[in-house]
Amino acid sequence: MTYKRKNFEPDFSNFEKVLRREKPNRPVLYEFAFNIPLLQRLTENKFTVDENDYMTYFKMLTEASVMMGYDYITVSAWRLNALAFPKGEVDQKKSKSQNEGALIKDIESFEKYPWPDADSYDYSLYEKIGKGLPDGMMMIPNSNGGVLENVTELVGYEQLCYMYMMDAELTKEIFDAVGSRLLRFYENVSKFDKVGAVIANDDWGFKTQTMFPPDMLREYVIPWHKKIADAIHSAGKLSMLHSCGNLKEVMDDIIDDIGYKGKHSYEDEIIPVEEAYKLWGDRIAIIGGLDIDFLTRSTPTEITRRAKALLELTSEKGGYALGSGNSIPEYIPYENFVAMISAVND
Amino acid sequence: MESLLNEIAHCVEFGKIDLKSPYPPDMKGKEGAAELTKKALDEGIPAKDILEKGLIVGMAKIGIKFRANEVFVPQVLMSAKAMSTAMEHIKPLFITGAVKAKGTFIIGTVAGDLHDIGKNLVSMMIEGNGWNVVDLGVDVKPEKFLEAVKENPNSYVGLSALLTTTMVQMEKIVSLIKEDHPETKILIGGAPVNENFKNKIGADFYAPDPQGAVEYINAGAA
Repeated sequence: MTYKRKNFEPDFSNFEKVLRREKPNRPVLYEFAFNIPLLQRLTENKFTVDENDYMTYFKMLTEASVMMGYDYITVSAWRLNALAFPKGEVDQKKSKSQNEGALIKDIESFEKYPWPDADSYDYSLYEKIGKGLPDGMMMIPNSNGGVLENVTELVGYEQLCYMYMMDAELTKEIFDAVGSRLLRFYENVSKFDKVGAVIANDDWGFKTQTMFPPDMLREYVIPWHKKIADAIHSAGKLSMLHSCGNLKEVMDDIIDDIGYKGKHSYEDEIIPVEEAYKLWGDRIAIIGGLDIDFLTRSTPTEITRRAKALLELTSEKGGYALGSGNSIPEYIPYENFVAMISAVND
Repeated sequence: MESLLNEIAHCVEFGKIDLKSPYPPDMKGKEGAAELTKKALDEGIPAKDILEKGLIVGMAKIGIKFRANEVFVPQVLMSAKAMSTAMEHIKPLFITGAVKAKGTFIIGTVAGDLHDIGKNLVSMMIEGNGWNVVDLGVDVKPEKFLEAVKENPNSYVGLSALLTTTMVQMEKIVSLIKEDHPETKILIGGAPVNENFKNKIGADFYAPDPQGAVEYINAGAA
């Protein structure tokens, strides 16, 4: 028998309340992404997903999300191949190198690079997916990588470090080329009626610090995120940032300068979500946060206990949605995932 | 002599590679670690002194700043580049025996994991502190670590992992190496690992940052 959230009807206004740092009418769940076998299991293997058959995938995601008790679905640009920056060959196993597959190393390769046009994509797909949602449920689109992520993949991490130190002009040109296209993408997806909020996804941190000096992020990355957040807000939608790693040095920038309404992605080794809520919860909505390693290696009882305590901690002021620190990969045991989401049933 | 060694240390600490390097901006047009190292050798300063009182001092300073989050990876990479460029002048003297490495450090990212930023950083910092580094690369199987230990007796081993699913490989590697070579000291590092995990798998040291690894093996070599 599959899991089903008790007494649940999708109502996105609850998630909006979270992003406005208000108390929702009932506990709210958020997840950035789910593994496909989990969605298939929840929908009793009714769906066979082909990589190119995005409509079946979104149908399955919608049905599973209602079962699990989510008020939205993430519309992943990666799955729709929307605004994809062509990349070089990268070997991929459980992780991939951030130094491989670079296509831009100098001004010549920058000029030769086949820059995609953010307006040439068929955005009506978003409308089509939105039409398949039940009443009360909305879409939260993301992009195919973020500003820093895409530049890092195009240049290679270590090479980008050297470029930033030695060639400020080219560094800026690359960031502007990527940032301007992502901005246009976010402008395009934010306008759809069934888009309830938008999440900008861009990993900025390692375990102990940001991947680049905060001043570098302020010069090349953050200005583009400010424009992206402004574009989302101008379309009347709420914004969130998904960004992994240690961002303590730039949290004020995220909250005060960029103005994202919610922050997603937390790791216990960096800052447990409970601590993040106490530190920043009165300035930005805290989304998700149960550490992936904790979800993988703890018992279901331990997981439910922590999830309930988290809901209790955040119940007075609101501004919190329960979920994992990142996403639900296949290696998180099904029972552990259910132990987390079932905490909202009481 | 002391002033020249201090200058070399300064170049490494601030990532001044050579004369033509535009970084750091306040040292543009000045000689870098490469030219000053050559000059020191030409002046007859022993290579051992250049290494220990110049280059390594610079790397140690940047490592300490990195641990304190006063500098970030790009600055450390520039320092490592300055160090390695200068080392081109010193390396031939290793063959003559004029300078000796402190020991050998074997490093690799464990099987299934292709992430290499942390591994490369640790590798550069340790090499920059006068160690011979055997970098096995990424996606390294346990047997390959064991083979490297056999080929490099009395070496230290560093294991890197990014994910919860790949860190479990560390336990297999530690157990395989310790079975045949219980004296081998094994260090672990990476996003999901911590002191508790180190204890659980029987590794010898959890390095939260590259400088931690450097200090641990330097203490063992002293």
